Amino acid sequence: MTGRGIRMFEGVDLWTVLLYAAIVVAGWISIASASYDEEAAELFSLSHFYMKQLVWIGIAWIMALVVLLLDERFYHMLAYPAYIAGLGLLLAALLFGREVNGAKAWFELGAMRVQPVEFAKIATALALARVMSDYSFSIDRPGDLMKVVWVICLPLFIIVLQNDTGSGIVLGSFLFVLYREGLNKWLCIPVLLIAALFIVSFLLSPMTLLVILILVCTFSEAMMNGQWRSRIVYLAVLALLSIVLCLVMHFVVPGKLDLYGSLLVVTFLSLIFVAVYAFRANLRNIFIVMGLFVGAMIFLPTTDYIFNSILKEHQRNRILSFLGIVSDPLGTDYNVNQAKIAIGSGGWTGKGFLQGTQIKYGFVPERHTDFIFCTVGEEWGFLGTVFVLALLCLLILRLMRMGERQEEPFGRIYCYCVAAILLFHVLVNVGMTIGLMPVMGIPLPFMSYGGSSLIAFTILLFIAVRLDASTRQFSLHKF
Amino acid sequence: MSGSSEGFVRMRILQCVVLAVFLVIVGRLAWLQLFDSRYEELAKANVLRHVVQYPPRGEVFDRNGEYLVQSRVCYDLMVISREIDRRGFDTTRMCEVTGVSRERLVRELANARMRPRAPRLVISYVSKEDKLRFDECNFRGFFMIERTVRRYPREVGGNLLGFVGEVTSDYLKRHPDYRPGDYVGLSGVESAYEPLLKGRKGVKIQEIDTHGAIKGSYMNGRYDSLPEMGHSIVTTIDSRLQLLGEELMRGKVGAAVAIEPSTGEILMMVSSPTYDPDELVGRERGNNYMKMLYNKRRPLFNRAVKAKYPPGSTFKVVQGLIGQQEGVLRPSDHHSCHMGYQAGRLKMACHAHSSPLDLRFAVATSCNAYFCYVFRDILDNPKYSSVKEGFDVWKEYVESFGFGRKLGSDFLDEGNGYVPDRAFYDRVYRGSWNSLTVLSLSIGQGELGCTPLQLANLAAIVANRGYYYIPHIVKRIEGCDSIDARFYERHYTKVDPRYFEPIVEGMWRGVNVGGTSTAAQLDGWDVCGKTGTAQNPHGRDHSTFLSFAPKDNPRIAISVYVENGGFGASAALPIASLLEEYYLTDTIRRPELLEHVKNMQIHYPAYDR
Repeated sequence: MTGRGIRMFEGVDLWTVLLYAAIVVAGWISIASASYDEEAAELFSLSHFYMKQLVWIGIAWIMALVVLLLDERFYHMLAYPAYIAGLGLLLAALLFGREVNGAKAWFELGAMRVQPVEFAKIATALALARVMSDYSFSIDRPGDLMKVVWVICLPLFIIVLQNDTGSGIVLGSFLFVLYREGLNKWLCIPVLLIAALFIVSFLLSPMTLLVILILVCTFSEAMMNGQWRSRIVYLAVLALLSIVLCLVMHFVVPGKLDLYGSLLVVTFLSLIFVAVYAFRANLRNIFIVMGLFVGAMIFLPTTDYIFNSILKEHQRNRILSFLGIVSDPLGTDYNVNQAKIAIGSGGWTGKGFLQGTQIKYGFVPERHTDFIFCTVGEEWGFLGTVFVLALLCLLILRLMRMGERQEEPFGRIYCYCVAAILLFHVLVNVGMTIGLMPVMGIPLPFMSYGGSSLIAFTILLFIAVRLDASTRQFSLHKF
Repeated sequence: MSGSSEGFVRMRILQCVVLAVFLVIVGRLAWLQLFDSRYEELAKANVLRHVVQYPPRGEVFDRNGEYLVQSRVCYDLMVISREIDRRGFDTTRMCEVTGVSRERLVRELANARMRPRAPRLVISYVSKEDKLRFDECNFRGFFMIERTVRRYPREVGGNLLGFVGEVTSDYLKRHPDYRPGDYVGLSGVESAYEPLLKGRKGVKIQEIDTHGAIKGSYMNGRYDSLPEMGHSIVTTIDSRLQLLGEELMRGKVGAAVAIEPSTGEILMMVSSPTYDPDELVGRERGNNYMKMLYNKRRPLFNRAVKAKYPPGSTFKVVQGLIGQQEGVLRPSDHHSCHMGYQAGRLKMACHAHSSPLDLRFAVATSCNAYFCYVFRDILDNPKYSSVKEGFDVWKEYVESFGFGRKLGSDFLDEGNGYVPDRAFYDRVYRGSWNSLTVLSLSIGQGELGCTPLQLANLAAIVANRGYYYIPHIVKRIEGCDSIDARFYERHYTKVDPRYFEPIVEGMWRGVNVGGTSTAAQLDGWDVCGKTGTAQNPHGRDHSTFLSFAPKDNPRIAISVYVENGGFGASAALPIASLLEEYYLTDTIRRPELLEHVKNMQIHYPAYDR
């Protein structure tokens, strides 16, 4: 042992740190270009976004150092307190926070704005890792799975209440982690399908929705347990009984119960039999599917309500325009349209540093924050975007690799959580600038302007690096 | 579970998911950035503003090098709302200096506030003097941009020169190379020589930001171009003759056209009433235009090339020529006339003169009966199997004189005139007609319609003894060696030149020996002329006069047509005579006649109801 200084960086994954640094630098160059003003007198004045961001980068690196200095057991210990603190912060923001762009999700500290969601993500990832690394935890057990669902859904619920749906959905990306930890893929797929169903639910009639739900749930259950024949019989009986019920009701009390109502009643009654069957056949995963179905049935009718009452006009329009239902290039589509124009006009090699006209002359809104990727696209072209995406992709793959070489499940799960969050952010942020995703206000990790986002992502990443480093320290000293 | 093969498979699957997500994004980016070229155009449309630099239109000169049309610099007053002095500015002074009304200034400033960084037009047609005064005042946020408008120093030739106006949507559809806001020649010379006069627009490409504020020039002006002035044109018009013509025709409705027979150049072309071309320039253009449009005398209608008038007795010249060529008439042939021509119940009246008379005297004294005989002989020529065939032959002759069709001059809106054909009479008379039925054609009445230009051309044909050059208005185009080839070509009629001599002789006698046109006599010049008095169902007879001078090597051929002017000798003749005198001698030695004609006002109940 030659001193603390050496031990601190022993086992730190150099690749991750280099990738991180490269992305931050690329981000800073883009911010500089997006916020550079020819007419401004002082090049190095702190009033420029790029100079402010330089300060933030410095602070973030100090934070990274602090994170590396702490012992890895500390994070294990800290998981639950941090989680509770995170929930508390979210609630506080909901109650006392400041509303920005319709989302009541910000604290104002002097001139600085902090979004507690960024830190709640870290806390949730730690808590999730802690829960799932518990000695007696088994993901196949419905009770344990419920714990996981609680851990994810509590903060998600508060965030949705804050009206910051975009950031909330990020937590949904932990499905990625659950799959790695052994969640049956026939549970993952229906969850994804139902999530997609939520987006388009207001386009479909309740009857269609119900039929799709029943089919999806029955199908995925059958894929898990086999015994196709009895499942098909079950579906046929459901259909027959509901038609009979509908006809009978039509003659007894006309107009009281239509086909949709009958199907609903029959299905819910049948759930009792399904439960009994599952109990006797000892097929516990049927309960999970039932839970999924009931949960979806409770939520789906409310999406209409959410869409029409909770979502703000502009959010509604974004979803509608993303789905191609309304088109309005000067209104709702304006942001996306301008973003696509900026990126699309970049060509192979782009227009060069500070030469992007769409960026320079302000056609792209939010060009240094959420739409920072447009700057890359316009000024550095296809080569630039592929380069940046390659950095991000390598970082994510590297995190998964780091997770796989952990000895403790805690470290592995945490690394996967980080990878999942980054992947989701990249997909949604870049996706929205090129018209693949609806516009949600979530930043591009390490690149978008903003202190709290950069610091939070840095801490998130470096905890993973820290956990990985200690594993490697041990293995290094073993030999 | 860690390290188990199950976990390893799942890690691989998740790696594939990550790669798939990035591949989808990269694929989409490749589509946007590499294959879909639309976005490059859209980006340019966002950021580039093409500022058109309007070229001055080509200028127009008369045959002696005097300006007929000049391009004059004027300015558009523009404003950028954001740059206006926040403490306000002296609006009273602004209104006073630039001539903009206060209401308009307030309205345009309110509009400009909608896009505070974009330049906006406040008022156009600010004169150079006002611009200089404006520059002294130094209003912040306001500036002037240069445009050119037309100016007419001689104040003549409204319909002849035509006017310039903003393109209509209709015109844009037919001419895709024009843009809204462009100016284009809409009539007369301006429209006939539009491609030459318009010049080439220049363009300045500027970069703008999302607010519409100008950020600089694109690529340091590599794609900018300077405007090129249009070609200037020297016309064949004699502006002093034109001015006199317009003065003489004032108060009368009609047209006067003068042609140089040896070249076909149009020396003068008056359509009356005319207007001061300056009235169709500038801020009052719209008002003036509407006023003219609703004027019952229709000043915007170019009678000289479009109106269809019965030629009256002047047409007897043509009948005499055709008769000789067809071999049914010798100059020495005598016919008798005692106050008219009678065949069966049909009677054509004539005035008092000695009888019998030969061709020369018949032309000089304008005998109706003589040409009735001639016309009937042409149509009833036993050479042809029927009258109708004879009529076809006659029509062919008439058309060879340029009647009933466009002459092909450089006026785009030239009229056809009208010569009835066989089918027309078949329809009207249900097939049964003969030379008597259409007898009124013999003295230029009936369905016949000629434009004043065609009549002047007839004068030129007789002056040339049998041929004409297509009448044209352009003499020389700057930067071109020659004008259109068709104007250099001699067109012969179907009548042999040797038959013209007796007609010319008759026209000379009519002026100089004794006939209907003696008032057109000029000392020292052999003037030839033929009057016409066209009957007119709508009122008084039209007065017309056909003339050329001198008899040998003629320098000017002229036709004057005055609607409801009475006898040919009473209105049209003095006008033509004065014009000839002025053109040939540069002076007028008959001031009383000049005053008389200038003050002659003809009453037009048909127009001024």
